Amino acid sequence: MKKTAYLMVMGIMLSFLYACANTNSIARVHPEEVKGLPRCAECHTDQWTALSHQTQDFYLKHKIYAAQQRDACNTCHKESFCVRCHAHKEEIKPSDRYKDRPELSLPHRGDYLSRHRVEGRINPASCLKCHGRQNNERCKTCHK
Amino acid sequence: MKIKAKTTTPAPPGALKAVGSILLACALVICGQQAADATAINGNSETILRMREGVFGENLFPLYEYLDLAASDAAGPGAISLEIGGWGRVDLGDRGFEHRTDGDIQYGFLSYRANRGNFTANAGRQWVVEGVGTERIDGLYLRTDLLAGFTAAAYVGNPAVTQPDFNGGDLIYGGRLAHSMPKYYSIGVSALRTEVDGEGIREEEGVDLWLHPVAMVDITGRSTYNSLTRGWMEHAYTASFTPTDALRVSASLQNVHYEDYFYQVTTNTLSLTNGFIAPGEEMWNVGGSVGYSATKNIGLSAEYNHYEYDLAGGADYYGVTGNFGTSTGLAAGLSFHRMDGSTDRLRYNQYRAWATQKFGPADLTLDFFDVDFDGSISGRENTFSLAAAAGYDFSRNLRVAADVDYIRSADFDNELRGLIRLSYAFGVGKEGK
Repeated sequence: MKKTAYLMVMGIMLSFLYACANTNSIARVHPEEVKGLPRCAECHTDQWTALSHQTQDFYLKHKIYAAQQRDACNTCHKESFCVRCHAHKEEIKPSDRYKDRPELSLPHRGDYLSRHRVEGRINPASCLKCHGRQNNERCKTCHK
Repeated sequence: MKIKAKTTTPAPPGALKAVGSILLACALVICGQQAADATAINGNSETILRMREGVFGENLFPLYEYLDLAASDAAGPGAISLEIGGWGRVDLGDRGFEHRTDGDIQYGFLSYRANRGNFTANAGRQWVVEGVGTERIDGLYLRTDLLAGFTAAAYVGNPAVTQPDFNGGDLIYGGRLAHSMPKYYSIGVSALRTEVDGEGIREEEGVDLWLHPVAMVDITGRSTYNSLTRGWMEHAYTASFTPTDALRVSASLQNVHYEDYFYQVTTNTLSLTNGFIAPGEEMWNVGGSVGYSATKNIGLSAEYNHYEYDLAGGADYYGVTGNFGTSTGLAAGLSFHRMDGSTDRLRYNQYRAWATQKFGPADLTLDFFDVDFDGSISGRENTFSLAAAAGYDFSRNLRVAADVDYIRSADFDNELRGLIRLSYAFGVGKEGK
């Protein structure tokens, strides 16, 4: 009973705060069609300039942008785009699937099976972004 | 590499029924709408045939079908949409293979998005990205703007766990509360908990930030705390400075405590008990990069990363990359990187050269990747791959691409792989086009 009352009060408070926010939602679809890797600063002068996809550190930083403003990503990318790399069960690594897109920063290019014996020791934390709680199949093939 | 038998944690029957019912209801709602600009249905199909040799010399010809479908209606005070995608595979070569067929629903959710307040409600299988939570769940997700620059998000459901050695949990929930001044900063606090039979197996809290006090400075980062081990899992921050449109300088810092970071995984490979991960290890990674766009079509960058450990020796990773393009449809890149670990086995030089040329609707790509190890990896000091890919756009919606990849690796003297991909996009309605 106490828990239900607590949840009701929380719900009413959040509804009130939502109603008072009165902000405009980010557009569902980007008003201009964007092709290739965009340079957001060509049109934007606000915080979206940071999202320019061609910068050398975009690949490193995009996880924070997505975790904070995923609606901004969704104006151009549907779920199907994200899942090409961020899958929980996948048999084709992205760099094998898109060999006709060599300009993309895709992990595991070339003979990564040999190289992972080095990189896995240098920074195993980087593996846990995609393996360890998902996509375990390839690991289990050798690491019993 | 032969694909071994796999086990997948089945989603609870109740969850599957709920998701199925929601998806069916949504489909009926959208199908019942009058065709209008506000209604859109679109999809993408990728049919992929891979050709390669397994570790036991068997020929593998797995045929995949990836299908993504989305339907939306934005006629009301918000937009309702359904997105679903997945893949199926059958191996056309090795018919004796026990698991010659497989597949997965990668996502499938009903979504409502209001025109005001960035209110979003999703139900079904989805990928949640909120602060410390980067999880695929079968469940419910809510997000909204609140008063005075605050935003809130919450999610609850079953974690989607695949091929586990250890239990991945039967319930996950979490949320994030953030405050933003859109042009200057966004700072969030977030938490998640995963349970098995009511007992917590993951409890993580964190702070994430995005600062851009002036246009040329952009700082992102996150710190994550493990409440079960009572230790910081990770601090990871990157600062970028863009004094001109052509120049960008970045610095990054990452600190990982293995005992807290790898506390709960679902595979033996990365568990704290199998010997690969030293529980008492702490890793520091300090790095930086400089990117320079000499012209709109020429880009150069250099990067350096230093790794330091409590138990193991240190390592450095550094290199340079150059890309250029021409107005005639040629794009190319060159890179050199050096991994300099504490032993010969942890040292290598990595070279890459690639080029792609468009010929009207056709394109041709070559990609060479070479690694020279200072020591030997399974008796080999040099490995490389040479890939040739070609594609043809029959229309804006239809593309055929194929590639051949020749690899000399630690495991294969000569390995030849092939792939053919047929992509077809379709849609109706304004957004569908």
